[in-house]
Order: sequence, then C-alpha cells, then structure tokens
Amino acid sequence: MFKISDKTLNESELKQQTLDKSAGGFVCFEGWVRDHNQDKQVQKLAYEAYPKLAIKEGNQIIQEALEKFKVKKIRCTHRVGLLEIGDMAVWVGVSAAHRDAAFKACRYVLDEVKSRVPIWKNETWSDGESGWVEQEYENHH
Amino acid sequence: MKTITVLFFGKLKDTWNTNKLTHQTSCKTIEELYLELLEKITEIPHKASIKVAINDEFANWQSHIESKDTIAFLPPASGG
Repeated sequence: MFKISDKTLNESELKQQTLDKSAGGFVCFEGWVRDHNQDKQVQKLAYEAYPKLAIKEGNQIIQEALEKFKVKKIRCTHRVGLLEIGDMAVWVGVSAAHRDAAFKACRYVLDEVKSRVPIWKNETWSDGESGWVEQEYENHH
Repeated sequence: MKTITVLFFGKLKDTWNTNKLTHQTSCKTIEELYLELLEKITEIPHKASIKVAINDEFANWQSHIESKDTIAFLPPASGG
C-alpha cells in the first residue's frame, strides 16, 4: 500500500504493517532530508504532490514489485509539506521469505517511486533562495 | 468552446505563475492546448520532460479533451 502523509512518518507503525508470519526477513529504506544538495547548503525542503495520481502510481509500482519478486508485504509512504534537516521523507518496507527478494523489491519500489510518482521537491538554501529540484540532480544511487 | 481546468505542478507553477486556471478552449488535444497555453508565458519549458494527465490519470499529448476535464502538466518527479 502506498500513502502520502503530511505528518511525521512513524516507522515502527509502518514496520508493523509490513510484518508477515511467513516472512523470514524484512528490508527497509528510510530517506532523510540531508543538509546539502550539489554544492548548496539546504535549510529545509517542501514536498508537493499530485495526491490522487501519486497514490495510484505508487500502488501500481507496489503491485509490479509484488508480481516481480517473491515477497509478502510492501508498504511505502512519502511525506509532503515542509520538512527540516533529518526528517524522514520516504519509507519503504518489504517482508519476504528470503532476503534476496526483499532487497530487490525494496530497491525497485524506491527507484520507481522517485522517478514515476508525481511528487516534487522544493529546496530552501542557506542564502535564503529556494528552487525546484531537477530530477538530474538526483542521479546519485 | 469547452471550459476546462488546468493544473500546474512543481516548477511549471512558476512558469505559468499559477497552480490552477479555468480555461476556455476549442483545442482537441492536450498538445494543442499546451501550444495555446504557451502564448501566456515567455520562458518556454522543455516539453519532452513534461508528463500530462486528464482527470487524475496519466494521458498522452494526443489525448482528447472534453468539456469539464481537468488537465495537468507535470514536470519530472523529484520525490524521495
């Protein structure tokens, strides 16, 4: 299940939703707001989404991952609104019988969410200026 | 003439200086609408990077526009 949230992400609650009795493991990725991008010092971020389309596309990605990989449950939630340095921006969790599928599915969901889900990042830098982040900036796997 | 709603997201909000407008048009496709909307602005966006949607579903440039549709122009995603 994919969700958009304007509130602080609760990772323990998300993990509980991902657990499965037939799973032998759980892989999670937490994306945090860092204090720099390219050569600029970042003060804060604002994420904007097209919510209806973002939820449809996010759930489509999770469905694809469930079909591609032998996993049990997948959850992904993305923050919107104003975030400070260190805040969690995105959470992806996957439970599976075996680790290989869990790692691959987690990576797949994160990569596809970043490139396909209509969410946009606006950074405010230390000089007080702000601007929309281009996708090309994000090619640091 | 059809009355439609147009939504802009991300940096395209800055380009058109609005996030939403009600627009009267006789355009048949999203591409025609896009070309018509370019007349409102001076800085031309990179069209190849823009995705389009009709009524909260991804669409393509040749998708047909009906009266009361909501058309959205989306720059490349930058979430995560």
